[in-house]
Amino acid sequence: MISWIHPGLVICLGGFLIPFIPWPKVKKAYFLLLPVAGLTILVLTSMGTFGTIPPWPAALHKWNVPFLQYTLDIARINKLSILFAYIYVIAAFCMNIYALGVKNDWEHVAAMIYVGSALGAVFAGDLFTLFFCLEIMSWAPFFLLLFRGTKKAMGAAFRYILWHHFSGICILAGILIHLNLSGSIEFAHMPWGWGGKYLGSNLMLLGFIINAATTPFHSWLSDTYSEATPSGSVYMTAFTTKTAIFCLIVTFSGVPLLMWLGAIQSVFALFMAVLENDGRRLCSYHIISQIGYMVAGVGMGTEMGINGAASHALCHIVYNALLYMGAGCALVVVGTAKFNRLGGLYKYMPIAFWLYMVGGFSISGFPLFNGFISKAMTIEAAEFIQRPIIYLLLEGATVGTFLHTGLKLPWNIWLQGREEPPPDIRSKLNDSALNTPVHMLIGMGILAFLCIFMGVYPKILYDMLPYPVEYVPFTVTRVFSITQMFVFTFLGFWFLRKLVRGYPTYVLDTDWLVRMPGGLFIKFCKVPLIAFGSYLDKQIMKVAETFIVSIRSPNIEARLTPMAIGFGVLVSLLLLSVFLFLKI
Amino acid sequence: MNKLRTYPRSQFWKLYYACLVVSLILDLFWLYTHVFHYHFSFQYLPQFFALFGLFGCMLLILIAKGMGIFIVVDEDYYQKKSRGLN
Repeated sequence: MISWIHPGLVICLGGFLIPFIPWPKVKKAYFLLLPVAGLTILVLTSMGTFGTIPPWPAALHKWNVPFLQYTLDIARINKLSILFAYIYVIAAFCMNIYALGVKNDWEHVAAMIYVGSALGAVFAGDLFTLFFCLEIMSWAPFFLLLFRGTKKAMGAAFRYILWHHFSGICILAGILIHLNLSGSIEFAHMPWGWGGKYLGSNLMLLGFIINAATTPFHSWLSDTYSEATPSGSVYMTAFTTKTAIFCLIVTFSGVPLLMWLGAIQSVFALFMAVLENDGRRLCSYHIISQIGYMVAGVGMGTEMGINGAASHALCHIVYNALLYMGAGCALVVVGTAKFNRLGGLYKYMPIAFWLYMVGGFSISGFPLFNGFISKAMTIEAAEFIQRPIIYLLLEGATVGTFLHTGLKLPWNIWLQGREEPPPDIRSKLNDSALNTPVHMLIGMGILAFLCIFMGVYPKILYDMLPYPVEYVPFTVTRVFSITQMFVFTFLGFWFLRKLVRGYPTYVLDTDWLVRMPGGLFIKFCKVPLIAFGSYLDKQIMKVAETFIVSIRSPNIEARLTPMAIGFGVLVSLLLLSVFLFLKI
Repeated sequence: MNKLRTYPRSQFWKLYYACLVVSLILDLFWLYTHVFHYHFSFQYLPQFFALFGLFGCMLLILIAKGMGIFIVVDEDYYQKKSRGLN
């Protein structure tokens, strides 16, 4: 009897077979089948085929493997991990449909390793397994970036891996210090505070908040996600940051620092998004902003806050993939997602526009869309604990989110008050309303359906959350206040719409503080250090030449013998004195 | 399905103005009939969410534009910097 099959392992190892399938149709079917296989295992697990899942936070433990003097808990199945796993495989299925047109099989392999390792991380019950899965997770997007093939993407790939190695080292150092102090490798709630006693916890926290793109460590996300391949970036939106949120929920729920960092992050990213000219970079800033809600919810630590963070993570995966797909459609069809070059695409891509708008309404938190049922829960959690500043920051972020994803992006890509796109873009479009590839529209359509379905019928999500949900999202107060807020946000946008137009510019972010000294260091290595090296080289050569000249002189033996004896005595005396010094 | 159509501009504006007026009236009506249940006293100010949406959005844009003076650079800023290194 098989105790359990790890869906992550099935997807990860199954992915390696993709390039070796010779028949294109079978290959595509197999690629879609991998997440379906994962989903089947999860459904069987939920139905109790492998044992009953106990109420949160208790868990079902499978696959215990001895490692050194420890036991690795590779499969810890609880309500939270199964919830994240479900959404990972469902999102992966939609993303695979979207990516069906990709010709490079190895891109599919990288994506499947990414999905599989993310599943490995959410089912990890010990810190070593978690670290191992997080490390694999950091490499898969590196390849998704490299496969774009541009010089910019290559630079972004190396920066990505540097950031994630840094966070990985922090997590590993934290794990080792924690292990040394507590003797436990269990992936569970960590003690947190200031001072040396909590160094291990703080290092782990630092690693997780870098992975979660929390301000001020958020810039790796906006820098790199927009440089990946169109379908690669869709995968990247879902897994790394949400797994970091999962880790934060498990280890650092109730840490007040996180509540403040999250609230600040949710607003800060929006200021950057106002200035952004690239559709995918704008969506990246919205990932950062939305993660702010989750981090704040984790920081609040109440049952409602945790439920809000978990449910928002799940809803976010769905609508954000949809947003990236929408912006990616423009990139695939007309070759750019830059606002200054677009506008007036509606006539030629109306279905992509409306599907994108479902994502835009969802992320903004419109009633009857899935963002509403999760975001409102986190905001109300801040109201319940009587934190007016946190509440205002999160509510303000809602306004900004609608401004950008619901208004600025669709206005700049599809509308801009024009009926026709600029001539260079128009020449790339057919005289048809169906310029977007059908497989992309199907992928987007499924996600759009999920956004509305979860928004209309939140019970399906609420029943899966770790804590029992008593929250009722559709109250007159909440529905009316948010609708009125959006109606007037539109008015503000309309007054200032000329200010949010795209210009061919680049917005410097906090990574400037790292990239500039890094650049200067390379410059130092390339110019003064190399010059110093060649100067030293020359001097040594001069000494050597002098030495050779003296060796060739006829009476050298008479001059060198006393010198050599003297030198030998000196070295012996030095060694003797060092030995005596050490001995004493 | 394949027929080319422009976006429904006039219908949108009619719907929008209707929403605007209805939201202003409903806010006052429900506020004074005590339908709303907020957690903070400032949320009970008349038209609080309308003002929050309008001024929040405008402030966000204006502050960001102000920040832009310092942080907006040429599109190939980092490429130029790295070319300088080679």
